[in-house]
Amino acid sequence: MSKAIVTPLTQALAEGKLTREELRAFMQRSNGPGLRHLALWVVLLACTTTLITLAWNSWLIWPAMFLQGIVLVHHFSLQHECVHYTVFRTRWLNDLVGQICGLIIILPHRFFRYEHCDHHTYTQLTGEDPELIPLPETFGQYLLYLSALPYWKAKFTEVFRHACGRLSDAELRFIPKVEQQAVFWDARRMLIVYGAAVVAMAATGWWGLIWYWLIPLFLGEPVMRFVRMTEHVGRPTVAQMSENTRTNIVSAPMRFLCWNMNYHAEHHYVSSVPFHALPRLHEKLKDHIFVETGGYLAAHRDILRQIMQRKSGT
Amino acid sequence: MATGKQWRDAIRVSELEQNWVTRVEIGTRLIAIYDTPSGLYASLALCNHGGADLCDGYFDGHVIECPLHQGAFDVRDGKPVSAPATRPMRVFETRVQGGMVQIRL
Repeated sequence: MSKAIVTPLTQALAEGKLTREELRAFMQRSNGPGLRHLALWVVLLACTTTLITLAWNSWLIWPAMFLQGIVLVHHFSLQHECVHYTVFRTRWLNDLVGQICGLIIILPHRFFRYEHCDHHTYTQLTGEDPELIPLPETFGQYLLYLSALPYWKAKFTEVFRHACGRLSDAELRFIPKVEQQAVFWDARRMLIVYGAAVVAMAATGWWGLIWYWLIPLFLGEPVMRFVRMTEHVGRPTVAQMSENTRTNIVSAPMRFLCWNMNYHAEHHYVSSVPFHALPRLHEKLKDHIFVETGGYLAAHRDILRQIMQRKSGT
Repeated sequence: MATGKQWRDAIRVSELEQNWVTRVEIGTRLIAIYDTPSGLYASLALCNHGGADLCDGYFDGHVIECPLHQGAFDVRDGKPVSAPATRPMRVFETRVQGGMVQIRL
């Protein structure tokens, strides 16, 4: 008998944590919740953009750009949902919105999709999970990660490598041959768009995109690094989904910003469940997963405690 | 010796999950049977990308989505419609005879 691979979902079904009927109900998709969330998202972006305009000739432009940056970097959360086709029922809408998000945060959508597949296959397994963030060994390493400098270095290296038609050994493992040229052209198109934006700004003398988009993006990225660390960092580097992933209970505004991705363990258990159903899935699975009730801050306290314990143990 | 494909009983129509995907075993094979707006279709149940069971995936219209990576296939002809699925999945002819779904294997 041919057998399916064991996944967190098959385990959950086999162990009775979830019935097939419940699974079917949780997976149901529609365009309404995603479109409503997206509409509010655009309103929020309009508000933070307006703040930058109002603060243009004062030092207040810096906090305004930071606020804009916090929203901009959370396009990662929306793109992540689009990668899973769990924002809209209409599949091409997920592709379109995901591509736009990727353009905004300099993360080509197709490449991220393939990389993220391996993250779900090998979650938190050292040497196999391409998105694994190791537990920092020192407080200095922790701060360096949060600065987002290593992140941007890796991302720019990645985009230029792909634009030059090359893949790293790790990337060769998860990008099939038939898609490699498409990945290279995605990176080239992204560089062309960014280059065209710079040329257009130089030609018109209006450098607004720098202030409305790029500086906020770099100011905001540490917030996304802060959020992303809470998903797996400090959890055991083992295959058990009940152990290796952290769900964080956070406030409604944060849930809005991250498209419910704070319910991260639930997402890893059943990645086909749309973002709007994750709170309901949480109620079903919360006794079988690791839940940090104190939210992002408590998760970071846990991470810092582990760093300090490791330091004192050596 | 005859080597042609034969119609094999799979499951009673009344036992199918309506507008969804149903898992059946025929011999050593795991088969997915899809109840779609245009009739019944069948394929191998395991995703040809990562080996996950498509019968636990999201099914909508004529598209089955793998529960592990959300790669997707059109169940009518097996064509991949979303990455990371890049190769067609194997599909089988189906028919209903006397209330029984049959698959040609």
